[in-house]
Amino acid sequence: MGKLQLTSKLDKDEKKVLKSMFWRSHWTFISFNMAKMEANGLTMTMEPAIEAIYRDDEKGKKEAYARHQNFFNTHAVAFSFIAGLAAALEKEHKEKGSVTGQTIDSIKVALMGPTAGMFDSLFFNCLRIIAAGIAIGLCSTGNWLGVPIFILLYGVTQSILKYIFINLGYTLGTSFIDKVFNSGLIQSMTKAASVLGLMMVGFMAATQVSVPLKWVIGSGKASVDINKMLESIFPGILSIVLVLVLMHLVKKGHRPAQLIIAVFILGIVGAFFHIF
Amino acid sequence: MSAITAAVIGALAYWIIYDLDPYLLSWQCLNRPLVAAAITGLLLGKPVTGIVMGASIEAIFMGISAIGGSIPADGLSAAIIAVTYTVLTGADVKTGIALALPIGTVMQSINNLLLPVWAMLVPHWEKLAVSGNIKKFNFQNFFVSLVVTPLPSVIILFFSLAYGVKGLQDLLNMLPAFVMTGFNAAAGMMVAVGLAILASMIWSKNVAPFFFVGFILAKVLKLTSLEVAVLGAAIALTMFWTDKQIVDLKNSMAAPKKAKAEEEDFF
Repeated sequence: MGKLQLTSKLDKDEKKVLKSMFWRSHWTFISFNMAKMEANGLTMTMEPAIEAIYRDDEKGKKEAYARHQNFFNTHAVAFSFIAGLAAALEKEHKEKGSVTGQTIDSIKVALMGPTAGMFDSLFFNCLRIIAAGIAIGLCSTGNWLGVPIFILLYGVTQSILKYIFINLGYTLGTSFIDKVFNSGLIQSMTKAASVLGLMMVGFMAATQVSVPLKWVIGSGKASVDINKMLESIFPGILSIVLVLVLMHLVKKGHRPAQLIIAVFILGIVGAFFHIF
Repeated sequence: MSAITAAVIGALAYWIIYDLDPYLLSWQCLNRPLVAAAITGLLLGKPVTGIVMGASIEAIFMGISAIGGSIPADGLSAAIIAVTYTVLTGADVKTGIALALPIGTVMQSINNLLLPVWAMLVPHWEKLAVSGNIKKFNFQNFFVSLVVTPLPSVIILFFSLAYGVKGLQDLLNMLPAFVMTGFNAAAGMMVAVGLAILASMIWSKNVAPFFFVGFILAKVLKLTSLEVAVLGAAIALTMFWTDKQIVDLKNSMAAPKKAKAEEEDFF
């Protein structure tokens, strides 16, 4: 791959959009919820890019907003990188039509899993522990300097990295997509990204979805633990079934509102009858 | 200082810190016990107590982080209540610290109780995002995150500081057990809704099997996300290069000279 140009090639408008996106990327966790996680934070971060790219295209704008309302979850710093990359992809999508909406979705999904794992362990298990270690040492003797040192090491660092990563994501996105598009391999890339993306969805279904079944039929020695039985057939089968059933319903055109309320009722009713 | 004054200060400290971090800064740094205890101590006029207690509570909560879903205890409210309680009652610092973890657990179960409620807003956000009125979307997001979401905890924090922490525990015990279990179960299953929508976007016959591959790697082999990603990337790249060879072959049959030039251009 040729040398990547960082920021120098960007024009004034692009720089303005990226700067605004950088500040907005601090709202990663805004309206965080269990169904879509960081979707609203991403929508707000993508807003300057979407507004600039689809200035005269209401339909494209709506589609772009809908795209970034999808489930999203990664570490807050990696969030900036993916947002920058997604902005580059949106630009290609609008200006050259080379990137489809599905490609943008696939690339986002393919990236959020691995970056979450990498950045979580880097920040939570490494940087935070180092910063807290230093700060605890100072604070336990009553030295107030421990507090600003902790904020500088663990907090401000993240903002600096966010700035670097959002620009990196954008320039990397632009140059990479240009190359792939010129070689006529965009479909192959979408497929490859979908493979990785779907594997990560499988990973998230296994690690984050929990169907806490505690259903026991009968009592004493004759009792049957339904969850144990199902787990012995296939580990985590209930999580898979839940995701697949919900996906089937999504494809049939059921709205997220119905699904969320259904899941909620399932939880309460299930708990009432001691299934959970 | 009266209990009510201290309770107001503690509840306000919670509100301000919670709005700043995670919502406005997303550092997950200011809401750590180390910082929260120091700020609360400062506001209550006992900065050193706050700093020293913060160090101890941070050490307790260090291992408790939000990786992959459920958090067992809320460090922010724990730190604030422990410091306020100590300053207010003049109790030994150690007693306050001992309180932190049980309080954090109670406050976290209240947070968990509310998780399905925030997820109910998702359809509303979706509708608003594509409505063409993005200003309204922004405003309501700020309003919900900065005012509505922290409000239940702020109120509970105020009453438990003003009228005793034990009352809080009693109140929770009054709820029928199935409500708590049901809310927790619903929160765990709600992630599946988001994932299902996501999967339906990229699902196709060609790639569907890889959903199960990813699932098994995580569930059965207990691989981490990075390990699954490396395996996934290896498969994706192999498929990509194979496709590239086919495309190249097609191109070379169509126009042999042009294909050669392209191959050199790429990478």
